[in-house]
Amino acid sequence: MNPLKKAVDSWFGRGEASITIPPMDGAFRPNDLLDLAPSNLEAPAPDCLAVTSHGVIVSSDRSLLRVDKPDGAEIASFDMAISALTGLPDGGAAVGLIDGRIVFVGGERGGTTLARNPEVACITALAPASDGALLIANGSATNGPAAWKRDLMEKNASGSVWRIDRQGRASCLAGDLAYPYGLLEEAGSIVVSESWRCALTRIFSGADGRKEPVLENLPAYPSRLSRADDKTIWLALFAPRSQLVEFVLSEDGYRGRMIREIDADYWVAPCLRSGATPLEPTQQGGVKQLGVLKPWSPSRSYGLVARLDPAFRPIASLHSRANGRRHGVTSCLMVDKRLFFAAKGDGIVASRTYEGLVS
Amino acid sequence: MTEPPLPETPLLAETPPLSETPLLEMRRVSKEYRGVAALKNIDFQLRRGEVHAIVGENGAGKSTLVKILSGVVAPSAGEILLAGDRIQIAGPALARRYGIAMVYQETSLVPTLTVAQNLYLGDEKFYNRLRGTYIEAQQFLQSLNFPVDPTATVQSLGTAKRQMVEIARAVRLNAKVIIFDEPTATLTPEEKHHLFTLIDRLREEQVSIIFISHALEEALDISDRITVLRDGAHIVTADAKTFSRETLIRHMVGRSLSDELYGRPGDNSRVRPPGEKVLSVQNLSMQNVVQNTSFSIFAGQVTGVFGLVGSGRTETARIIAGVVKRDLFHGGDVRLNGKSVRYRTPRDAVVDGVVYVTEDRKGDGFFETMSVAENVYMGHISSPKSHGAVASMSEMKALAAEWTNKLNIKTLNSDARVIELSGGNQQKVVIAKALVQAPKLIIFDEPTRGVDVGAIAEIHNMIGSLADEGLAVVVISSYLPEILSLSDRILVSRQGRIVEELSPEEATSESVMFAAVH
Repeated sequence: MNPLKKAVDSWFGRGEASITIPPMDGAFRPNDLLDLAPSNLEAPAPDCLAVTSHGVIVSSDRSLLRVDKPDGAEIASFDMAISALTGLPDGGAAVGLIDGRIVFVGGERGGTTLARNPEVACITALAPASDGALLIANGSATNGPAAWKRDLMEKNASGSVWRIDRQGRASCLAGDLAYPYGLLEEAGSIVVSESWRCALTRIFSGADGRKEPVLENLPAYPSRLSRADDKTIWLALFAPRSQLVEFVLSEDGYRGRMIREIDADYWVAPCLRSGATPLEPTQQGGVKQLGVLKPWSPSRSYGLVARLDPAFRPIASLHSRANGRRHGVTSCLMVDKRLFFAAKGDGIVASRTYEGLVS
Repeated sequence: MTEPPLPETPLLAETPPLSETPLLEMRRVSKEYRGVAALKNIDFQLRRGEVHAIVGENGAGKSTLVKILSGVVAPSAGEILLAGDRIQIAGPALARRYGIAMVYQETSLVPTLTVAQNLYLGDEKFYNRLRGTYIEAQQFLQSLNFPVDPTATVQSLGTAKRQMVEIARAVRLNAKVIIFDEPTATLTPEEKHHLFTLIDRLREEQVSIIFISHALEEALDISDRITVLRDGAHIVTADAKTFSRETLIRHMVGRSLSDELYGRPGDNSRVRPPGEKVLSVQNLSMQNVVQNTSFSIFAGQVTGVFGLVGSGRTETARIIAGVVKRDLFHGGDVRLNGKSVRYRTPRDAVVDGVVYVTEDRKGDGFFETMSVAENVYMGHISSPKSHGAVASMSEMKALAAEWTNKLNIKTLNSDARVIELSGGNQQKVVIAKALVQAPKLIIFDEPTRGVDVGAIAEIHNMIGSLADEGLAVVVISSYLPEILSLSDRILVSRQGRIVEELSPEEATSESVMFAAVH
């Protein structure tokens, strides 16, 4: 771009420098469908869902829990918190820990552990490849999974996607990704959700790691992807975009000082659940009209799950609005026409039947 | 001169008693344009203190009838009587002297003058004290309950407020007969209520009112009697209470059109699924008219935008199409097929396939001194399809023939001037001028305002077929049944932003109106 035009645009706040967010309309039209879903399990920070021989399981802090048991029967527990989980075709599961190790539970490789790769320290998502290998999303080269907010505020794009074959050999498929948080293999390519670009990106297999956009300009930060039996795709989006956060991201000086001086919980940044403490910025307000809370400031947290067609175009969505109790959805799965989702912000795993409800 | 024969009224349910002389009477009045009969032996009587609605399709002769009464055109035959005396209305000034005032459908104010100056236009003295004029105008407007600033220039006002000034001017002239031509087309429900109260007041003061409206419910509500014209002929005159909407339409078009027009609500089988996202408007702002509005438009769908006058719908559409500009600082973003765009002129938008069909067809929609063919060709030469810098007469004629045929434009030939056509056919010319530009996104702003029911059905069908062909279609309308029947998706605008999105299944008159006003 012409540097002069860039400078002018930056001054006027237009073009690439415009501080705007895409509307939640069309397929993203708000509703209360997530809030209407009955709760299956309440657990601390339920994060990643997977289907195994135990049925639907969820990672919660250091444990793997069964979703179909109200008390969340524990399947396994670890010495570190879990940051990613995937079900394997043999009924087992691969579990990514926050220190970078990958542990297999059940199935053929049950009990084995892949040692930490120094270049893969932020495992955010795992997915089985069709050839038996394991695909890994490494969110950031500098921050761990718990420091995702810092990674956003530092405007990093240091994430990568890796492949580990059955012999344990690791290869990097693509780098320079803005916090890859979800993975899906698709006919010779991998579709990755890049949280900080608010986009889905296709990575073509091959040495060059060629990338192309699949879906851009999402109204929220995307996380895990899953495919349903009917070939439609389910995408969890863990926090909404807001003009305020976009503005803070454009103000380097302010952001730097905020990172240095303020506790991360109180940053002007998206979060999995907001409104819980009066120390939070700009969240303690609003009025109730007709029984619906109208926040005077855009909410920093939200619950959102999107259904995409096989070509990755949004066709419907389920929401938990500002006053809902299903915020911070980081994972969703469609199993037997029932949609399961983990609302990490509110510590709830819930499910509902889905019969093509559209927004 | 021999006495003209007695009028032949096909149906006069309540003829006035012999003792009561009509205030205004037309006897066997005819008017021909270039040998084409616009009015054929019309008999019309207006009583003192009555509200008399004249309804009919475009081309039925309503406008010609009131133009004769207001002195704009002279009749080819027949006579006019005022309080029993034969008169000749040789011009608008004479009509005013006879106490006949006209409030035009398309406003006839001087845009560069202030409201007060327009109100007192023609009454200027050698020395005019502006301050006094403004105070007087302010008091007068307040007495009518019209919230219009007398010091504002007319060009800075929206269409609804311009119409208020027009009405105020007619009232100010102390007219005995006031002709309202589509007075409510641009008014909000509240403003309509004020207007109807005003009409009631005028009726009590024995002012006679001729009320022309395509909103049949209004004609049924407000008028004492209704006259229906069709193809320049008088069809029926009767008490308003003897009519229903259906019987009126049947008299107007000779067939029932109700289902054809607004039969869509509840019929969800015809809802089109959304295609690709064509347009994404993000946090768009323009002064205090458009305020941080965001919405998307999808291909293959009709997106209806409903809102009251002043809700920022038109302004948003005009920003998208490059007619006006958004705020210089942080005015938001418009993305066409994912690409950020900012049009300096409408032509840039047309080149990208974005076309806006204006709500003010006479002001912005066509060149009134040009022919149908020239107008359509003007649309063509601004489109990317046009390569040559030299106008081709053969191409112009071919295009005119193609679009006259496609849109069923009723005209003698393509050399006829657009201004001579009826409102519905003028609108079709404006639409042809837009469609010839091969748009990918087309925004219709009040596409059926001032258009008769027959043409409305044709325009609705055309809008639907454009969406079926895969175009992204936006219809801005203040008429709820139109929005409900046409839209595959409904956006509601209020105070400069889109505040609600409704699917056809959940949209009802109540839910849409609730979103528009709360």
